[in-house]
Amino acid sequence: MADFYQTGVIITLHKLGRPSLEKIESEIVEFSKQRPIALVLPALYTEFQADAIKGIVEELKKVKYVQEIVLTLGRATDEQFKEVKKFMSQIPYEVKVIHNEGKRVKEIYATLERNGLSPGEDGKGRATWIAYGYIIASGKSDVIAIHDCDIITYNREMLARLCYPVVNPHIDVTFCKGFYSRVSDRMHGRVTRLLITPLVRSLQKIVGFHPFLVFLDSFRYPLAGEFCMITDLARVMRIPWDWGLEVGVLAEVFRNYSARRVSQVDIADNYEHKHQPLSAEDAQKGLMRMCVDISKTIFRVLAAEGVVFSDAFFKSLEVAYLRFAEDTMMKYEADAAINGLVFDRHEETKAVEAFANAIKKAAQIFIENPMGTPLIPNWNRIGSAIPGIFDMLKKAVDEDNK
Amino acid sequence: MENFINVLLDPLKDFWTGFIVFVPKFIAMVIIFAGGVVIAWGLKLLLLRTLLAANFDTWADKAGLTAIIRKGDIWGKPSDLSGKILYWFIVIIFLMIGLNALQIQTIDKVVSQFFLYLPRIFSALLIFVIGYVIAGFISRAVLIAAVNSGYHYAKILAEAVRLMLIVFILAMVLEQLSVAPSIVVAAFSIMFGGVVIALAIAFGVGGIDAARRIIEKGSEEKQEAEKDVEHL
Repeated sequence: MADFYQTGVIITLHKLGRPSLEKIESEIVEFSKQRPIALVLPALYTEFQADAIKGIVEELKKVKYVQEIVLTLGRATDEQFKEVKKFMSQIPYEVKVIHNEGKRVKEIYATLERNGLSPGEDGKGRATWIAYGYIIASGKSDVIAIHDCDIITYNREMLARLCYPVVNPHIDVTFCKGFYSRVSDRMHGRVTRLLITPLVRSLQKIVGFHPFLVFLDSFRYPLAGEFCMITDLARVMRIPWDWGLEVGVLAEVFRNYSARRVSQVDIADNYEHKHQPLSAEDAQKGLMRMCVDISKTIFRVLAAEGVVFSDAFFKSLEVAYLRFAEDTMMKYEADAAINGLVFDRHEETKAVEAFANAIKKAAQIFIENPMGTPLIPNWNRIGSAIPGIFDMLKKAVDEDNK
Repeated sequence: MENFINVLLDPLKDFWTGFIVFVPKFIAMVIIFAGGVVIAWGLKLLLLRTLLAANFDTWADKAGLTAIIRKGDIWGKPSDLSGKILYWFIVIIFLMIGLNALQIQTIDKVVSQFFLYLPRIFSALLIFVIGYVIAGFISRAVLIAAVNSGYHYAKILAEAVRLMLIVFILAMVLEQLSVAPSIVVAAFSIMFGGVVIALAIAFGVGGIDAARRIIEKGSEEKQEAEKDVEHL
């Protein structure tokens, strides 16, 4: 059982006692009549060859408050798309599968591209963004929930707890992020534990008080892929299409809404999904690429907030980060010891060293070109530039799903 | 016996004579058709280059033409579609000219009818494209005006206006193409008249009280004015 401490400037919703799933679900069913919910599932075809998705679909079959599921499928051929569509058809409510590699959706991307509204490269960012566009176009849902398709420990309570704060008009938050621990015989979540938190705190030390850093530091699991938001946020949100997606989403929430209307919720006692290799030698692969993208996004958001970066700043940051990361490692070592978990200090140190390199690389890229990775334009702008785009997108997805 | 052989050979001779006359015409048709395909291909290429230089695709996206094409489940670039239309149009024209070279009476009639029908297709296409753009523009203007006036059903009103205008345009297009013109005109008149009558009845029934108030207000003002005169 968790404590009830309120972390930072946002609302933290803990899992206290043994909350009844049935009670929460029955309340959501009522609330969702006023605020219909869409669930976005970003997935690659390869995920349909694993077991996690089977468990997720089994659980989703029991959910009674979701208006529509929009599964945005990447790296799939036409035949594989049909296979996924058939697999998803066992869910007894509306499911739309976006075929990102299909000719229709590709033409939508081409239309955006030729109008100077690049949706970026293939990836989770672009895949979720197109799903938001479809939900806006279909106009059926006021709330969007999203979670990954590789969660081995998935149960429908996760979705219920994620949606509840946004759909409940008495809580009325605009955005809710999930948090959880990721523990097996050891602690996982290296990027969150050893990159994000030490990086944000070392930035705070150098920059001083900064609302965005305080906001970011308030999240217990800023890289969690599970969140829920109002559909209006999806209209105004500009997100990166690379691994900076999660931090980019938080930056947009910070920019558009008061922290008092932002929450995080404990959605699971434990969470397990596939693990990325570290790839310490190659900044273009695995966790290293993720860390470079995340660091770049943080730097860019801070620059947009008026923070001035220089070579000297980044040199100090490197040193400060290493100090914070080492201190953090000691804390986790103690935490692992008291819980009887394995703690491989050498592996953790290697990860910290790799992350320090990633920060250095990100700083270098940022100094060379601060506008490096452009953000995907928001849907309001796209609707204004190409008035028929929502009709086109809806037509494309609906035709694919016939 | 000789007579019998003549009876046997005459049709063959006739066929041969006909064949000798037909072959040059057929070759002429094939040459015209092949030339047409080459010309069509060249013009298509020229059109594509021109449209590319003129940023036609982005213009079509912004003007809503791409959205119309997509409604027909066509997912190529608008410029590609224009190129294909031009290509097949020219190929068909040259096929018709080629068929004309065969000098077969029935085909000649069809070909002349086709060429007489061409201007109608052009004008119908023009009416549809311009009409659709104007319908979209008016619908958007109605939407903005209704939203600014705080009208609750602004989107429905704008869509209704757009739908009515499109029906109107389609009726004009069908009339232009001479597709059952009398039925189209009658159907359109009945439908449009029905809508107008429905609106008139709805306004009449719903507006009885408003009309009464206006009339009563008018007569009261008149009486007040008369009273004023008496006081003077």
